[in-house]
Amino acid sequence: MTDFSSLPHLPDSLTDTAARSVQKTQTAKPGGLFSRPWFLRLLAIAIIIIVWQLVALTNIRVPNIAEVIRFLIIEISEGTHGGTFKGLFWSPIGNSFMRYAIGMAIGVPIGFALGILIGTSTYARGLLNDTTLVLLALPSVVWAFLSTLWFGLTSEGPILAVVLTAAPFVAVSVSAGVRNIDRSLIEMCASYRVPLLRRTQHLILGGTLPSAITGTRLAFMAGWNSLIIVEWFGATSGVGWRARTLYNFQDYPGFTTWILLFILLIMILDRFLLRPVERRAFRWNEPPMLTFAETDDDSNASTNNSGKRLRKRQD
Amino acid sequence: MATVLIENLTKVFPPTANQPNQVQALGGLNLSITGNVLVAVLGPSGCGKTTLLNIVAGVEQPTSGSVRSVQDGVPAHISYVFQEPRLLPWRTVVNNMIFVQDRKSDRSRREAEFYLSMVGLGDVADLYPSQLSGGMQQRVNIARAFLVNPDILLMDEPFSHLDALTGRSLRDYLQKIWSQTRKTALLVTHDVNEAVELADRIIMMRPGGVIFDDIPVNLPRPRHPSNPDLQFLQNDILRRFDSMEAAVRFGVG
Ligand SMILES: Nc1ncnc2c1ncn2[C@@H]1O[C@H](COP(=O)(O)OP(=O)(O)O)[C@@H](O)[C@H]1O
Ligand SMILES: [Mg+2]
Repeated sequence: MTDFSSLPHLPDSLTDTAARSVQKTQTAKPGGLFSRPWFLRLLAIAIIIIVWQLVALTNIRVPNIAEVIRFLIIEISEGTHGGTFKGLFWSPIGNSFMRYAIGMAIGVPIGFALGILIGTSTYARGLLNDTTLVLLALPSVVWAFLSTLWFGLTSEGPILAVVLTAAPFVAVSVSAGVRNIDRSLIEMCASYRVPLLRRTQHLILGGTLPSAITGTRLAFMAGWNSLIIVEWFGATSGVGWRARTLYNFQDYPGFTTWILLFILLIMILDRFLLRPVERRAFRWNEPPMLTFAETDDDSNASTNNSGKRLRKRQD
Repeated sequence: MATVLIENLTKVFPPTANQPNQVQALGGLNLSITGNVLVAVLGPSGCGKTTLLNIVAGVEQPTSGSVRSVQDGVPAHISYVFQEPRLLPWRTVVNNMIFVQDRKSDRSRREAEFYLSMVGLGDVADLYPSQLSGGMQQRVNIARAFLVNPDILLMDEPFSHLDALTGRSLRDYLQKIWSQTRKTALLVTHDVNEAVELADRIIMMRPGGVIFDDIPVNLPRPRHPSNPDLQFLQNDILRRFDSMEAAVRFGVG
């Protein structure tokens, strides 16, 4: 019905070559292993291990890597470390993860709701902003003592600590996300009379999602740290409790092994759960806010979830 | 038939942090627009054009005076082409279009794609705005305004952020799509070329938000910028601005 072929066009070839030459300079990299992120990462790990071994040589209380591996094997196989002292592996990890999962499942939604409230309502901001900041600043060890006081040596204490540590991280980044939503987009919605529900869902939530996910990643780190500290001082099971027991027995290989496990577990969680989620949320090509999110293989922030580079089209 | 009726419209902005004095953006505007016409409001930067459109769109409230937009006796349905694309960066092009539709249906996507093809963007429906050039994003902005099938179409310098060549090609798209739909349209611009090429009537505004002239443009469409009649009209308009400035300066000094 309509003939569009007569509409004017800019010469495609002109802008296209310009675009291509820009791409070339972007993808051209100086050669060599030292420009590869994966190589640098391996190098960093190697340096850490070497320095560790050197320190272990000179200091009797620092176990070397062989001792750690020997200890780990006994723990996993639940063999004996000597006498009646038995290895334990899955139950401390299982206990900690159970508390952690419950705590995050409660804390993240609470933080999200608080963040939306603080971001949208000036009353809520006045009421809750300082409380959130206090929670953010409070050291986890305070939760350890308070929760032991309130709950004794049960699981509620560590769970509460995870909730109260994670929620403010999420709340702060979500409220910042809400407040950073482009005013001109709010005006656009108003002039087109976009219904409130759709506006909330796609403008407020859509615009907040990336910072919410970044905040959630931080909350996952902080919640895990807090959990371990609370378990250290006020629990009879879990990763923190296990590390403390070994520390009290002056079993330094054991203590070191669990500290390493503690770090490894959160790194695995971040890498295989949180980062893929974050990358999906950023697939419309805004670089993530945390710089440590960008150290991903050979790619950079302008890749989408399927690894394809978002390429700008020209007129 | 759609009508915009503006009576004694004023807008005064109170002092702000970076602007110690209050600003009179609109100074008692009277304007009536009726029927299937494209009216251009022409004036220099800062003379109150965006403020005028924002008030007509209902995004901003007037200090005094009134604006009524009606279609057959009921409040008119308005759409707005902004100076910048104003697309949600996390939604694809077609989802940005569907986002502003008042009712969603199976036809939504096809309608959106139809209007995209009207501005020559048939193949970018599923891309994100960041994957498009500025000119393409602005075409989406235009297509979105036609998609909602408005009674009244507002346009705020839709080509001013683009380079001259891209702007010119977009003007041709707009002429084409407007000629087919003939929506009552209010286009504000600081570009005399643009006004004479697109408008049926040109309203001239000076700083302080005051209308000082109002002329009809009775030239056949499609108009081409090289048409001598357009050149003639353009010179006439520039002369009117010059004598207005002289009069204002004389009146003040
Ligand atoms: N929100 C605002 N607060 C204060 N002053 C404003 C605001 N918006 C516009 N103005 C002032 O009003 C005048 C008219 O602005 P505007 O309508 O944007 O002009 P135009 O679109 O013609 O360039 C300008 O002097 C501008 O500084
Ligand atoms: Mg303006």
